[in-house]
Amino acid sequence: MLADWWQYDFLRYTLFSGILIGLICPILGTFLIVRKLSMMADGLSHVTLSGVAAGMLLSKKVAFLNAVNPLFFGMLFSVLGSLFIERLRKVFKAQQDLAIPIILSSGLGLFTVLISVADGFNADLYSYLFGKIVTVTIEDLYALLGVAAVVLGTVFLIYKELFAVSFDEEFARVSGVSRRAINLWFMVLVALTIAASMRIVGVLLISALITLPVAASLQISGSFRQTIFFAILFAEISVLGGLYFAYMLDWASGGTIVLMAVLILLTVLGVKKAKALLRTGL
Amino acid sequence: MDQQGKQDAVVELSSVSFQYEDKVVLDDVQFSLMKGDFVGIVGPNGSGKSTLMKLILGLLSPTKGSVHLFGQPLSKFREWSRIGYVAQQVAHGAGGFPATVREVVASGLVGKIGLFRRLQAHHHKSVEEVVERVGLTAKLDQRIGSLSGGQLQRVFIARALVAEPELLILDEPTVGVDQESIEQFYGLLRSLKEENSLTMMIVSHDVGVMTQWVNKVACVQQKIHFHGTAHDFEHNQEQILQQMYGGSMKVLSHHH
Repeated sequence: MLADWWQYDFLRYTLFSGILIGLICPILGTFLIVRKLSMMADGLSHVTLSGVAAGMLLSKKVAFLNAVNPLFFGMLFSVLGSLFIERLRKVFKAQQDLAIPIILSSGLGLFTVLISVADGFNADLYSYLFGKIVTVTIEDLYALLGVAAVVLGTVFLIYKELFAVSFDEEFARVSGVSRRAINLWFMVLVALTIAASMRIVGVLLISALITLPVAASLQISGSFRQTIFFAILFAEISVLGGLYFAYMLDWASGGTIVLMAVLILLTVLGVKKAKALLRTGL
Repeated sequence: MDQQGKQDAVVELSSVSFQYEDKVVLDDVQFSLMKGDFVGIVGPNGSGKSTLMKLILGLLSPTKGSVHLFGQPLSKFREWSRIGYVAQQVAHGAGGFPATVREVVASGLVGKIGLFRRLQAHHHKSVEEVVERVGLTAKLDQRIGSLSGGQLQRVFIARALVAEPELLILDEPTVGVDQESIEQFYGLLRSLKEENSLTMMIVSHDVGVMTQWVNKVACVQQKIHFHGTAHDFEHNQEQILQQMYGGSMKVLSHHH
């Protein structure tokens, strides 16, 4: 069974894609969660969905767009959505969390309309919603590789700025950090990551991979760096374990990966609780 | 002010007014901070003292008038690492953030090191030194969630000092610090000020304790009602506060 992963191209693509997603989702997730923006991934994933629907519709109606991967429309919509959220956060200063439900409903509304105009639901769409191993192509893998390179490069180059802005925006501003530019670039990266991860875990489940491994990591980490490290570790276990079981049992890959992440979170919470009980008991 | 005085002014506000929509917060304010000053800014809530501070930090721009920092107009000033800032602690709610004392203090270097550059060995060394100076070496690699309010306050002071600023601005620094620690806290500030030849500015509503430690006091209530030595302030306190608050300040100053 394990040998299949080397024998078949699509499985190899899936494996590499999974490893990349397991790396970048928890990194971005850590910064999102400490800023209390964990719902951001949800909002953006729905906008991405409407982008994919638009891409599918256009490839049907416009001949020369036939060959364009709907993924790229997803990316475009997602990036525009992220810019729109930043804008909305400024307009609704006192209710900043309102930006996310606004963008989420808009995305979902647009998505359903576009899908009804096109041919309605089909198998291809299902894979974008929930993730499906067999649909990963070399083109998807290249897109993801590009996004991952940009994310990792950014975090390497401006880690201290990202940390400073996440920890204390006002202090970062007073230190002369261009907070706006950092925030904007970060949101664009989140948007691109969501779009590029779609094929594997599916749009509806991507936010789980951004948040669950970090939630588990926060329980045991001793520092910010460690939070990122453990989050990556948990995400990789979820992705690799999830993909393996999904293929073996013919389950939806997205759901299996998310269930692995939930299992890890529950285990971490359980072990922590047990330790605390032992300590007070002794 | 003579030419010599102008050169030594760390902060200079001339005819500064500031208003939010229709509400005038500061009205034609003259204020200067000279090198080596230890100034306390006092005034009731909503008096404009926080606005004054935000103007100096470049977080706000004046509606009218001009702000000069180290002799440069605010719009041209870029050397923000010359100014250290300790925000009001209640505004942070940072306790749950998964970072260590070391990581938080190191973030104070972000402006000084500059974009795309990473921390070097000597940066890590200065982080350790400043943490030692505020007496938290034992907590260096612990998450800030495990610290008391007073310890967390010292972490923020260390973060502000690690970039070796010339001016340190503190906003209500004793809020959330227990009574016994307040004297100790001001003692620490004073020795830090002397060791690093800092200019210091403290914004506080807590007139009682602070005025015993600073050497100058400025009373803000839309305008600057008093700007002089702490000694003069003590002598005329009743009269100044009466003029500013119409008696209600008595309650405040006896509060602590």
